[in-house]
Amino acid sequence: MNRFIECAGVGKIYPVKTESVEALRGIDFTCDSGDFVCLLGRSGCGKSTLLQLVAGLEEPTAGNIAVAGKTLDGPSPAAAIVFQDHGLFPWMTVRKNVEFNMKARGVAAGERTATAAQFIEMTGLTGFGDRYPHELSGGMRQRVGIARALTTGPRALLMDEPFGALDAQTRGKLQDELLSIWEKQRTTVLFVTHSIDEALLLADRILVFTPRPGRIAADIKVDLPRPRAPQSEAFSALARELRGLIGADRDFD
Amino acid sequence: MRLQRALGLLPLALLLLAWHLAVQAKVYPPVLLPPIAKVLAVFVDDLPTVVDHALSSIGRVIAGISCSFAVAVPLGLMIGRYRWLDLLTDWSIQIFRSVPPISLIPLAILFLGIGDKPAISLIFLSGLWPLLINTIFGVRGIERTLIKVARAARAAEFLVMKDIILPAALPAIFTGLRLAVGAGWLTVVTAEMIAVKSGLGYMILNAQLTFRSDLIIAGIIVIGAIGLLADQLVRLARSYVCRWQEGLTASPE
Ligand SMILES: Nc1ncnc2c1ncn2[C@@H]1O[C@H](COP(=O)(O)OP(=O)(O)O)[C@@H](O)[C@H]1O
Ligand SMILES: [Mg+2]
Repeated sequence: MNRFIECAGVGKIYPVKTESVEALRGIDFTCDSGDFVCLLGRSGCGKSTLLQLVAGLEEPTAGNIAVAGKTLDGPSPAAAIVFQDHGLFPWMTVRKNVEFNMKARGVAAGERTATAAQFIEMTGLTGFGDRYPHELSGGMRQRVGIARALTTGPRALLMDEPFGALDAQTRGKLQDELLSIWEKQRTTVLFVTHSIDEALLLADRILVFTPRPGRIAADIKVDLPRPRAPQSEAFSALARELRGLIGADRDFD
Repeated sequence: MRLQRALGLLPLALLLLAWHLAVQAKVYPPVLLPPIAKVLAVFVDDLPTVVDHALSSIGRVIAGISCSFAVAVPLGLMIGRYRWLDLLTDWSIQIFRSVPPISLIPLAILFLGIGDKPAISLIFLSGLWPLLINTIFGVRGIERTLIKVARAARAAEFLVMKDIILPAALPAIFTGLRLAVGAGWLTVVTAEMIAVKSGLGYMILNAQLTFRSDLIIAGIIVIGAIGLLADQLVRLARSYVCRWQEGLTASPE
């Protein structure tokens, strides 16, 4: 299905005591089903805000957002979200955390257990089902967050810098795993990052954001075959282009 | 480590020593200041009396604090969650909690007479405020991401309360419970001196009338011991119920 996520003239102003903050202005984009789209920009240019809007967690102050053909009015059942600080419930075991989104939908306990086990295995967490989040490494917590998001078979996966707090090695591993999951499930992915390399490794398409107010400065198609090699000429050329668009003095990775 | 812990017993030993020396030196006549052995003898000769009174006091605190818990926790969860309830109740809570429950004894006797009713009502009030305030505080302290996760999963309000707000507030609720049990214990002893004809408070006041200072001192020791024990029990319950918290906080109190 085309036009799976549609934003038309979307703006967001946060009312703050003295002067309000205009986080986004005039955001227009559509995103087809199955696309892997990265939202790239420095911090403070409204990427998280846009993701929250698409997730239905915040309301736009201007414009319209539709997901799966329906104008948003709160969180869409077709989407699931993964946060940078993983958002795991510390009092639930890994299994209970993974089951939560299903429980919220009233899925029966038996089916929950079976589905949770399946995604625990898929995300490489076998054997950790009875652990609490504080007993896991950062990378494993992020896997739990991804497993939880996948359990309801979302058609859109919204990810807000999910690997931002991880060390380079773990991040690389999780990027590969995310791609292989995406290739299997063919969900639409909106992925927020401030890393040019990460965006180039993952995305079919990169929306480049600039700040004050947050706007989309460029919409770049990435036609490189996967797996992508950061050393390749085409990759570096795109990276240079993106660096210019963002207005970074240096690579701010 | 063990030696360091034993250090805490030193002041108590010194106190006993001072008592012993004071008795030897006949600072006060033996009717007023009995020898240690005579106080210990109370635990043999008058054991049934002491146990009876102790059980009455304990029963009242359990009844009163259970009522506080049943009212304060659900109410606190809702006040913490719903802004309008907070606005509605904030002033009242701030005002009523600064009234010492003991100052309500005269009113309680006027309205409820002498007996369990005024005592338990006052214990209920002593426990209500610390439990209520700590529960509200616990709800406020919840991580915002966790609420977002629940909203994005479209969890029903009851599930959010039960699976997210309540567990998030539990550590604070237990802090409140410790304070409530302590306050309830103080109140029961005081109330029993005036408003009831049984319990440890009544026992020591009565012992004063018959010049049984050995019974008074034994009563005080029992009051202290039960207070300490109750506090330890609540701590133990907390570390069991909140075991998911291990390693999250710098030191488990
Ligand atoms: N809840 C909020 N209230 C007020 N201002 C906010 C809020 N969330 C974000 N902002 C402001 O909106 C702008 C964009 O923030 P954000 O969307 O978090 O950017 P990014 O994710 O790209 O770093 C920033 O100036 C930020 O301070
Ligand atoms: Mg952000």
